[in-house]
Amino acid sequence: MSNPVAFLGRTAQYVLLSIAAFVSVFPFFWMVLGATNTSPDIIRGRIAPGTALFDNIGKFLTQIDLPRVLFNSLFIAGVGSALTLIVASMAGYGFEMFRSRVRERVFSLLLLMLSIPFAALMIPLFIMMANLKLINTYQAIILPSIASIFIIFYFRQATKAFPHELRDAARIDGLKEWQIFFYVYMPVMRSTYAAATIIVFMANWNNYLWPLIVLQTNDMFTMTLAIAALNAGYTPDFGVIMVGAIIATLPTLVIFFLLQRRFVEGMLGAVK
Amino acid sequence: MSGLKLRNVRKSFGTLEVIKGVDLDIEDKQFVVFVGPSGCGKSTLLRMIAGLEEITSGELTIGEKRMNDVDPAQRGIAMVFQSYALYPHMTVRENMGFALRFAGKPKDEIARRVEEAARILELGALLDRKPGQLSGGQRQRVAIGRAIVRHPDVFLFDEPLSNLDAELRVHMRIELARLHKELQTTIIYVTHDQVEAMTLADKIVVLRDGLVEQDGTPLELYDDPSNHFVAGFIGSPKMNFLGGVAEEGGIRLSDFPGQLVPSPVSLDAGTPVTVGIRPEHFSSTGTATLDVAVEIIEHLGGETYAYARGDGPTLLTLATDNDRTLKAGDRYTARFDPGVLLVFDKDGKRLR
Repeated sequence: MSNPVAFLGRTAQYVLLSIAAFVSVFPFFWMVLGATNTSPDIIRGRIAPGTALFDNIGKFLTQIDLPRVLFNSLFIAGVGSALTLIVASMAGYGFEMFRSRVRERVFSLLLLMLSIPFAALMIPLFIMMANLKLINTYQAIILPSIASIFIIFYFRQATKAFPHELRDAARIDGLKEWQIFFYVYMPVMRSTYAAATIIVFMANWNNYLWPLIVLQTNDMFTMTLAIAALNAGYTPDFGVIMVGAIIATLPTLVIFFLLQRRFVEGMLGAVK
Repeated sequence: MSGLKLRNVRKSFGTLEVIKGVDLDIEDKQFVVFVGPSGCGKSTLLRMIAGLEEITSGELTIGEKRMNDVDPAQRGIAMVFQSYALYPHMTVRENMGFALRFAGKPKDEIARRVEEAARILELGALLDRKPGQLSGGQRQRVAIGRAIVRHPDVFLFDEPLSNLDAELRVHMRIELARLHKELQTTIIYVTHDQVEAMTLADKIVVLRDGLVEQDGTPLELYDDPSNHFVAGFIGSPKMNFLGGVAEEGGIRLSDFPGQLVPSPVSLDAGTPVTVGIRPEHFSSTGTATLDVAVEIIEHLGGETYAYARGDGPTLLTLATDNDRTLKAGDRYTARFDPGVLLVFDKDGKRLR
C-alpha cells in the first residue's frame, strides 16, 4: 500500500461493513442451525449443525395445524396485499394526476396520520370491528390494512415520474380514466408495484399485534400467532420454534427473489 | 368536410386567462401551423382542439359539428406529442393498434391498418420492437404511425420535432410535407420554430399572449406583416428595426441622423415610427443608402452577412450580395429600395 492513511480508511470500512453483515446474517444463520438442534442444546449455546431436524419438524407438525395456519396467513397477506396495492396506487395516482389545493390538504392530513402509532389506534379500531361483528374474521385483519398511508405516499411519489403525456395519449386513443389506470399506468409502473408488493406483503405476513387482538380461535391463527403460541408453553421447545420461524420466512424469501430486480428498479423510481 | 372553426375561444386557469378570444377558420386539408414564442398559448390552443383541455368559453366546430364537450376520442382527431408518448410496455405494433383495439375494431382490420401505416412510414422492420429499443427519429415515426392508423380527419402535432437533432429535424420536416401530400388531411402543427412554420405551412397563425396576431400564407406574413411582432417573428435572420421620426420628405432615423430615408407611406411630420427592413433587402443596388461601420462578418458560403452599426446603438444585420472582401472595421454603404421598408407606429401597428 502506497498510502497508509488510505489503507487504514479502507480497513476501517471493511471492519465496519463486516460487523454490519455479521449482525444482519447471524440471526438467520442461528435460526437455521437452531432448527437442527434440540432445545437444551440451543440453550447451552451450541452453534453447530445438530441431528434433531426431523424430530423438530415432526413435533412442529403435531403441535400446529400447518396447512390451516399457512392458509390463514397466505390468504390474509395475499388478499390484503392485493387490495392494498390497488387502493393505494389508485389513491396515489389520483393525488398526483388531479392536483388541487383541497387534495393537497387532504394529502397532508394523511401524512400527518403516519405519525400516530398503531397502539393508539388499536382500541378504537377494535371497538369498530366489534360493532361491525367482525372479530375473529379475516376481514378484521384485512380491512384496516388496505388504506396504507405509507404506500399511498410511495405511489404518489412514484407517480411524479409517470409522464402526463401518456395519459393524454391514452385519452385520445379513447380510454376512460379507469382503463388508463389498468392498461397504461399499471404496466408502466410495474417496478413500483413490485417494490410495493414486497413491502406490503412482508408487513401483512409479519403482522402480529393486530391479529393477536382480533383473532381469538386457533383455527384462525396466522403463522406469527402460531409461532408465538409455541413460545407460550411452560418449557418452550426452541428447536421447534426455529422450524416454525424458517417456514414463516420462506414465502417472503420467495417473493423477494422473484421480484428482486424490479424491487431495486422500483426503489430507484425507474419508469422506462 | 373536416374544416375547423374557432369562434371567440377562451381558456382560463383559475383567474389567469391564457387564451383570450381566438377566431380562426381552418379549411379542409390545410396544413396550419401555430407559431409563437413560448407561453403564447399555442400548445394550450392545440390541446383545447384535441379535447385535453376544456374550452372555458367560445365554440369549436370540426366539420360543422360542435365539439366543445365531445370526448377526445370522438372528435376525429389524432395527436402526436413532443415526447412521443409511446406506451413503453407495448411493441410498436401494439402501440399503433391500441386505439383501434379500444374502438372495438376487428383484429384483421387492425393488422391491415397497422401494416399500411408501417408501409407509409417504413416501420415494417421495427413492428415487434419496444419503444425503448428505438432511436429518437424512429420513435417519432411510430408516434406519427399511431396517429395515421386511426384515419383521423385532423392531425394535431405538438412540437413534434423539437426533441430531434438538427439533421434529423430537417429530414423529418420533409417527411411531414410528403406525408401531408399523401394523406390529404387537415394538419394543425404547433412549433416555436419559424423555419418549420415557413416551410411546412399552407397557413401560419402567429400567436402572442393568447391572441392571434396575424394569420395567412407564409409569404403573406413575410411580405406583408400587419404588425411589428409578426414582422420580427417571421423571417431568418430577423428583420432590422430602427426608430425614427417622420419629417417633410422622409423619415429621420435616430441611428442615422445625417440623412432622410424616403418613406413608402405618407406620414404626418413629427410622427414617431419604427422602420423595418429585412437583412436580405439590402443589396449593392437601390436608391436609398445607409452608411454603416461593419463590426462582424459571417461567411455562410452562399451569402455573407455583415453586422454593422450607424451612429446609434442598433446592430443591423445586412446581406451583402455575398461580398467576400468585406472585413470587420470597414465602412460600407448598404443600399436598398425604399419601397421595401415597413413602417410601424409607436404601438407596433403597421402603417400602410
